[in-house]
Amino acid sequence: MSALTTAAPGAPVVELDLAELRRDPYPAYAELRRTAPLAWVPSVGRHLLTRYDDIVHAEKLPEVFSSREEGSLLLRTVGPNMLREDDPDHRRLRAAAEPPTRPRQVRDQWAAAFERTAHKLLDRIAGRGEGDLIRDFAEPLVAANLALVLGLRNASAADIADWSRAMMDGNSNYADDPDIWLRAERATRAIEEAVAEMAEVTRREPDGSVISSMVHAADPVALAEIQNNVKVIIGGGVNEPRDVFGVGAWALLQRPDALDRALKDPSAWKRVFEETARWISPIGMYPRQLTQDYEIAGVTLPAGSRVALVIASGNRDESVFERADEFDLDRPHRPHLAFGGGPHFCMGAWVARHEVSAIAWPLVFSRLKGLRLDDGATASDSGSAAGSLDGWVFRGLTSLDVTWQATA
Amino acid sequence: MPTVIFQLPDGTERKVIAASGTVLMQAAVSGGVEGIVAECGGNASCATCHVYVDSEQAELVGPPNDVEDEMLDFTAAERRPTSRLSCQIHLSDALDGLVVHVPEEQV
Ligand code: FES
Repeated sequence: MSALTTAAPGAPVVELDLAELRRDPYPAYAELRRTAPLAWVPSVGRHLLTRYDDIVHAEKLPEVFSSREEGSLLLRTVGPNMLREDDPDHRRLRAAAEPPTRPRQVRDQWAAAFERTAHKLLDRIAGRGEGDLIRDFAEPLVAANLALVLGLRNASAADIADWSRAMMDGNSNYADDPDIWLRAERATRAIEEAVAEMAEVTRREPDGSVISSMVHAADPVALAEIQNNVKVIIGGGVNEPRDVFGVGAWALLQRPDALDRALKDPSAWKRVFEETARWISPIGMYPRQLTQDYEIAGVTLPAGSRVALVIASGNRDESVFERADEFDLDRPHRPHLAFGGGPHFCMGAWVARHEVSAIAWPLVFSRLKGLRLDDGATASDSGSAAGSLDGWVFRGLTSLDVTWQATA
Repeated sequence: MPTVIFQLPDGTERKVIAASGTVLMQAAVSGGVEGIVAECGGNASCATCHVYVDSEQAELVGPPNDVEDEMLDFTAAERRPTSRLSCQIHLSDALDGLVVHVPEEQV
């Protein structure tokens, strides 16, 4: 099967400007859902699938909508990895890596350390009375947590965050910028060394981390496989929880009633998490490639067709979510698509849920008294007018400037 | 081919004839049973295919496996003694007539 880089016969062709898509993809998605739920978008080089039901359908058919995509930038950046594999190889790697990310492990093994790190970061900034909650808190927190869960005791939170950024840039290096490739390569080499060292250590002393779990997997995993999969996890594991944290905090700071509710009833943080992930999904889309001819959304796609499952659009589908553009904690519970579906359902889901909704938000809002957005950091309900919201493949706040009452 | 009955939170009932060798979650999804979300497609990692086995039949179905037991602590609706993940219940003729209750919430 070779990758087709043209529109399927009969597929509508829709021109979308990538810069506009980064700034605010939601109006374009609404239009696509209405008029062309499967459309070839030349600037993306893929068919965009934008309706909720069609996306769910595709997710449940991994044997047709394959994760193995030819010419994938992710493959170029990190090498073969479970995100771009189908079962049974995907399953073997996932089974090896997954145990430390299951919810009970998160609660029993990691939560206390997550909390200590959050307190430490807040101790550092509490006296200042102002800061950027992304740079000063969320990013170092999730990076430190990730280092812990992965078992990279030999890397700092700053290393993890830098590596993640370098790989994410490589992964979206459609312009083929050689400097970006160089930085990505440096990051991946550094990760390979760090993983090799910790794999050796945990071979002797298992420590319950992802690396340790992969080293001791019943179904053997090679060192190169551990290295590549750790790269992928670092690539996604920083920005996704960081972005849910940022967008959710930003949404609440503009909605005192919702914030008040969460502060009075801690069980509401869970709803805040799921609604945030639905409203502005940290991952906006992921690619699939057809293994056979298949009809979806009224178009027959030939084998080899490239498709993007636009989960950010599915999460705004008005046939499923009423007033879908609004952030609303009281909407009827319908499953969102932010974690993906099927065998690739986000492995970090339980880690992210816990570190963000049980630890990061409650601590930030209880410790930083009088927290409010810096002037200028407001936005409309569509989540599109803020200067610092950016991206469509990945979307989040690049900064969240706030003030609070400084404590001595 | 076993027949299984899903009792929905609104009091209605859905009867599904399952293909042999499938798991209960698949029977629900292909039968279009509302309320079985099954985000992870049967890999015991999402806890959104939760059901309550009818107490009369709980023994017939058996207890959850280890991974499932862990996930059941994190379902959206409360865990009960007969809680199971439907993706971990393998159907056979012995389970013909199985009745399960679909909880109010999965996410
Ligand atoms: S389908 Fe995800 S746990 Fe059963």
